[in-house]
Amino acid sequence: MRDRYGWTLISLHWLTLLLILAAYTLGTLLQDMPLSPTKLKLYAWHKWIGMLVLFLLPLRTLLRWRDGFDHRRDLRPWEASLSGGVHAALYVLMLLVPLFGWLHSSAAGFPVVWFGVLPLPDLVGKDKVLAEVFKELHGSAVNLLVILVVLHAAAALYHHYFRRDGVLARMLPWLRRRT
Amino acid sequence: MKWLLSVLLASLVTPAWAQPWKVDYARSEIRFVIKQMNVPVEGGFKRFNVTADFDVAKPEQGMFRVEVDVAGIDTGSDEGDVEARRPAWFDAARHPKAVFVSKNIRRDGPGRFVMTGDLTVKGRTRPLSVPLVLTAQRPGGWLASGRFALKRTDFDIGGGEWADPSVVANDIDGRFKLLLMP
Repeated sequence: MRDRYGWTLISLHWLTLLLILAAYTLGTLLQDMPLSPTKLKLYAWHKWIGMLVLFLLPLRTLLRWRDGFDHRRDLRPWEASLSGGVHAALYVLMLLVPLFGWLHSSAAGFPVVWFGVLPLPDLVGKDKVLAEVFKELHGSAVNLLVILVVLHAAAALYHHYFRRDGVLARMLPWLRRRT
Repeated sequence: MKWLLSVLLASLVTPAWAQPWKVDYARSEIRFVIKQMNVPVEGGFKRFNVTADFDVAKPEQGMFRVEVDVAGIDTGSDEGDVEARRPAWFDAARHPKAVFVSKNIRRDGPGRFVMTGDLTVKGRTRPLSVPLVLTAQRPGGWLASGRFALKRTDFDIGGGEWADPSVVANDIDGRFKLLLMP
């Protein structure tokens, strides 16, 4: 039996991490940036990357559901519940963060044209109050996502350095070949 | 029968007699769409003044004058509004008004006209052709509506760092609705 997730899922895992890091960095930069052409460009990239995370999510969920591997098989019951909970929360937030961003964009009257080519439908009409609400929700969901990503990474490092059970290497197969 | 006809005619013509028209600003709007990073973003002007002086029976002999307070721009975001008033864009401090004055109105079908005139923005005057549709309103008055196309470079709007049309497009799609009351 396979002792890790499929290659596509592993690739999607790291791709998603890169996309989230990029979107987060851009989002943080944009907060204090005065209006300029660069800001408009970075804003566009922030939205495009966020939408990519959102649209990759159903693919990831489907592949994970079809993949026979269960990462929790060597865990104690309470660890398995915790891990399952964190993973579920990560998936929910990967849905909510870009979704709130998209809703904010729609409500603010700045629709998303994906990569400058594909116009995405407005989820709600233009509404200043609603735009503020979705902006707040977007920000809160991001903070929660950051906390969970850190927790997730800390758990992986804990397994790697303290438990030495190959959990990190499972997601980083090239790491195992070296050791 | 003849007297009935003349009464009918008189009732049709009478409200159009006393010109110019009063503009119902609460129901009138001047808006535009401009693409930013290929995203159509809607905006408008909150304050403008319209002089509509024409006889509905012969709009060809009429005159439209529209004066827009550029500082009252709504770009869709607060920081955009501030930026648009700056020298790179409208330079609202030095050129507070954008003015359109019609020179010629010609009929282009029932209720449809083409209005040509001069548009002055930021001290630059360019000819502008505007299709105009006049729609009778109930109980009275007329809706004058139309669309027009502008290029921001023609008026030096958004120069310097903003010149790149792939970030903010050169084309501006304008539209207006003016409610003219007798």
